[in-house]
Amino acid sequence: MDKVGIVGYYYMKMSPDLIYGRYNLIFETVRGALDSVNLKKKDITTVISATNDYYDGRTISNAYCVEPAGAYLADESKAEMDGAFAAQYGLMRILSGNHKLAVVWGGSTPSCYPYDSAQLYQTDPTFERPIALVNNITAGGFQMRAYMEKYGVSAEDIAKVAVKNRKNAAKNPLANPEAQNANITVDDVLKSDILSDPVTELMYAAPCDGLAAILLAPEKQALKITDEPVWIKGVGSNQDPYYLGDRDLSECKSMEMAAKMAFDGAGITAKDVDFAEIFEQYAHEELILAEAIGLAEKGKANELNSEINGDIPINPSGGAIAGHAPFATGLMRIIEAVKQLQGKADGYQVKDPKVAIATGQIGFCAQNNILYVLEKGGN
Amino acid sequence: MSKKMEYDRKEYDVTRTMPGNWYLSSYKFRYSLDHLQPWFKKLKEKKLVGTQCRSCNTVFFPPRLVCGYCLVKPDLWVDVRETAQVATFNITYEKNPQTGEVVEKPVVCVRHDGTDTAFLAQLSPEINFRETYVGMPLKVKWRDEPEGNIGDLEYYEPLEDEAKDLRKEE
Repeated sequence: MDKVGIVGYYYMKMSPDLIYGRYNLIFETVRGALDSVNLKKKDITTVISATNDYYDGRTISNAYCVEPAGAYLADESKAEMDGAFAAQYGLMRILSGNHKLAVVWGGSTPSCYPYDSAQLYQTDPTFERPIALVNNITAGGFQMRAYMEKYGVSAEDIAKVAVKNRKNAAKNPLANPEAQNANITVDDVLKSDILSDPVTELMYAAPCDGLAAILLAPEKQALKITDEPVWIKGVGSNQDPYYLGDRDLSECKSMEMAAKMAFDGAGITAKDVDFAEIFEQYAHEELILAEAIGLAEKGKANELNSEINGDIPINPSGGAIAGHAPFATGLMRIIEAVKQLQGKADGYQVKDPKVAIATGQIGFCAQNNILYVLEKGGN
Repeated sequence: MSKKMEYDRKEYDVTRTMPGNWYLSSYKFRYSLDHLQPWFKKLKEKKLVGTQCRSCNTVFFPPRLVCGYCLVKPDLWVDVRETAQVATFNITYEKNPQTGEVVEKPVVCVRHDGTDTAFLAQLSPEINFRETYVGMPLKVKWRDEPEGNIGDLEYYEPLEDEAKDLRKEE
């Protein structure tokens, strides 16, 4: 694969309720990404949006974002999935050889719509919607129970992940203030409100407002733009069956396949990874996905030392629990990985990383997964 | 490398909210149930059947139109037992919008013996759901007068778990 670099990025501080309108937010995000490397509108050749008509409250919602996203008289397309999938689309556009700079932006503002009710419409209309109380959170409950019972992992082990991520979030200045808590304990997590037993409120990455944007460029162009590009060495995506009952929820087959594809493409193994930015909707998903990627054996991810200065840091930025802005979270994982590789993560910097992975997901219980292998470029 | 953003980033004090509705109730989607008709017919006779994929032998219960593994139509009808196991479960909290009363309710995924897929179902109200566990054996409780729809599987009753004491010894 030809080298494609991530040359610029921007995401604004997340918040449970941003007072800006969406138009302003998109402009600020895309302009911020361009300004991070001193580029202009005329440098943009292609734009990929990651939004959802249902969440935006209008059909073909990217049509409305032409001007603020820098897509005016440029070619534009939309991925109605997590931002990390849109980045794959942008990557393919760059690899086609027709484009010199791709802007990939994604995000939404859940303060404006009922996020969890909207998720109900993902369920099957014949078997799931009429019978039982199912939405994304109930599905998370299924997944956590299946994982706990299969491997004998306790709720405390899972609460520890939430504690670690919320403490890391406190060091991340861009995290959702509601998620930041430097003094949180395992007890706080276990005793917070139960959303769907065994999932408690603090184990859940609550949706918040936020947008993110990254800039992609082919090798030659990337080196002209910046001295410290981060190269995309490998990417893999895969998906599980739609029906929850068809899957073994205690593991994540699609992430295994996606990781294998990405690692094969990059010519590395999971052992070469210096740190991971994993998009976890719930605390237990971080463990399941880490096992699927191969960072730990099945059922043993809770024994990893995944603190910022640990053996294999996972989510030094706090992960999705630090702020889950639907459709931007996957892009934020990529951006946080890039920040770490460039040594710009003030306060939560991992020591001297060279190779990182960043993941994105969408769907119930991490149905669709994507994984990027990123490598430090420049000197 | 990066330069500071120059444009004004002061807060917008006044934003407007616009009410909007997405008229989902006006949608008339077509969802084919043709492949389920033999299943419904058998449900009315208090019998359970599933479909098996001739390519990978996966038994689907409830029947599916397409086998995702092989991309073929699983069209071999097979007999399915009334006994099942809890595949996974959680406990949800249902709030009555009128009274505000909150009811705890278990939501379970059950997998019928001899099938490969699980689906969502209700547990018997007599089960103390705090004692539910993954692998718990269950049996179908039929509706008294089946009507030939999924509601005929009213709920699932517990069965004696003959191996439970053996597992505890481990």
